[in-house]
Amino acid sequence: MSSTRPELPREFIAGHKRRRMMEAIAELTAEQGYEATKIADIVRRAAVARKTLYDNFDGKEDLFLSAIDSTVAEMRVVVEEACAHDGADPEAGIIAGLEALLDFVAEHPAAARMCMVEAISATPSSARLYDAGVRDFVELLQKRSPGETDLPETIEESLVGGVAWILQLQIRKGEAERAPELLPELSQFVLSPYLGVGKVVDPGRRK
Amino acid sequence: MDADAEMGRLPRGRHGLSPEFVARNQRERLITGLTQALYEVGYQKTTVSLIGQHAAVSKSDFYKHFESKDECFVAAYDAAIERIRDQLIATCEEASGEEWPQRVRSAIKALLELFEAEPALASIALVEGLRAGRGVYDRYQVAVESFVALLREGAPPAPEGTSAPEATDEAVVGGIASMLGRRVLAGEAERLSDLFPEILEFALASYLGAEEARRIVSAG
Repeated sequence: MSSTRPELPREFIAGHKRRRMMEAIAELTAEQGYEATKIADIVRRAAVARKTLYDNFDGKEDLFLSAIDSTVAEMRVVVEEACAHDGADPEAGIIAGLEALLDFVAEHPAAARMCMVEAISATPSSARLYDAGVRDFVELLQKRSPGETDLPETIEESLVGGVAWILQLQIRKGEAERAPELLPELSQFVLSPYLGVGKVVDPGRRK
Repeated sequence: MDADAEMGRLPRGRHGLSPEFVARNQRERLITGLTQALYEVGYQKTTVSLIGQHAAVSKSDFYKHFESKDECFVAAYDAAIERIRDQLIATCEEASGEEWPQRVRSAIKALLELFEAEPALASIALVEGLRAGRGVYDRYQVAVESFVALLREGAPPAPEGTSAPEATDEAVVGGIASMLGRRVLAGEAERLSDLFPEILEFALASYLGAEEARRIVSAG
């Protein structure tokens, strides 16, 4: 048995570096905004060579867009899996999905801020990614919609926009960590157009 | 040449108007000019000379009023929000004798009609405001919150056994603003009134429940 450090596969290291750069840009844009974030800051924070950044990305914007894209995809998977978990009961599914979303925001405050706040105003392409992300969640809600009546898309768009708005306020207040506390109110908000105000299960009281 | 700017343009030469009047008129025209240019070509392509063309104001006169395009943009943003707020407050006052759902109905109707008649106003308020970055985002937030207060006035309390929906009115207003912004961005500003029944149903459902909201919407 050799006592030297085990060799990690090259792809593993490369993937790890990519992730570190994406995490670094999320943290930096959360701290100081997109404009003020320089390539030098990113490579220092990620502890990679400048060349590594340019080997992986076309530049700052490309890295930023890749980071947003990958975070939104991750968020969608987490929420979708949580929704599906409660299989038969669409109402419980929506609550579980919301809970997963709020937990994600609390656990990844910088990444959440990057895709829900900074993305909107940083560059035209990042704004388009934000819009596409909202679109994804509208589709997810339509797929999982509880109740017998199909709601018009306008309402589903407003529901997703409303949840996003509340989370944006929470993130901008610097209180992303407390996002899970919003679960009772947001469940009520999302479910009431489908069910009826009095009929919504309040997850805070569901014991 | 933009029709509005043409109409708002002052006669040349000795018109006997006070310098203060001329200055205010120019400033207002520049604000309208920027709002219109923004809607037509977007923020990046909206240059000071284009704003000047829309407003029929020379570039050097532009700089008497604003230091930069950004400063003019912020002034235009504030003006847009003020117009929307004035319109909503006036509508709510007119309908003050009515029940809360009827007041919400009048306010949403008036809002959509205003946006439909002036897509450039809808665009700066709902789309560009959010995209412009930190300083203006704060203004957008303040605006949404002031509309929340209008909606909350006279709204029925949450039914017993449910949690008090503190965030509900914020989510309702923020959600409508976000959805309208997406429609304006998709070039549908001139058809926003089509969405009236759905938006009304959405706004009422969070307070009254889905069935009651649908009943009110279809009762007209």
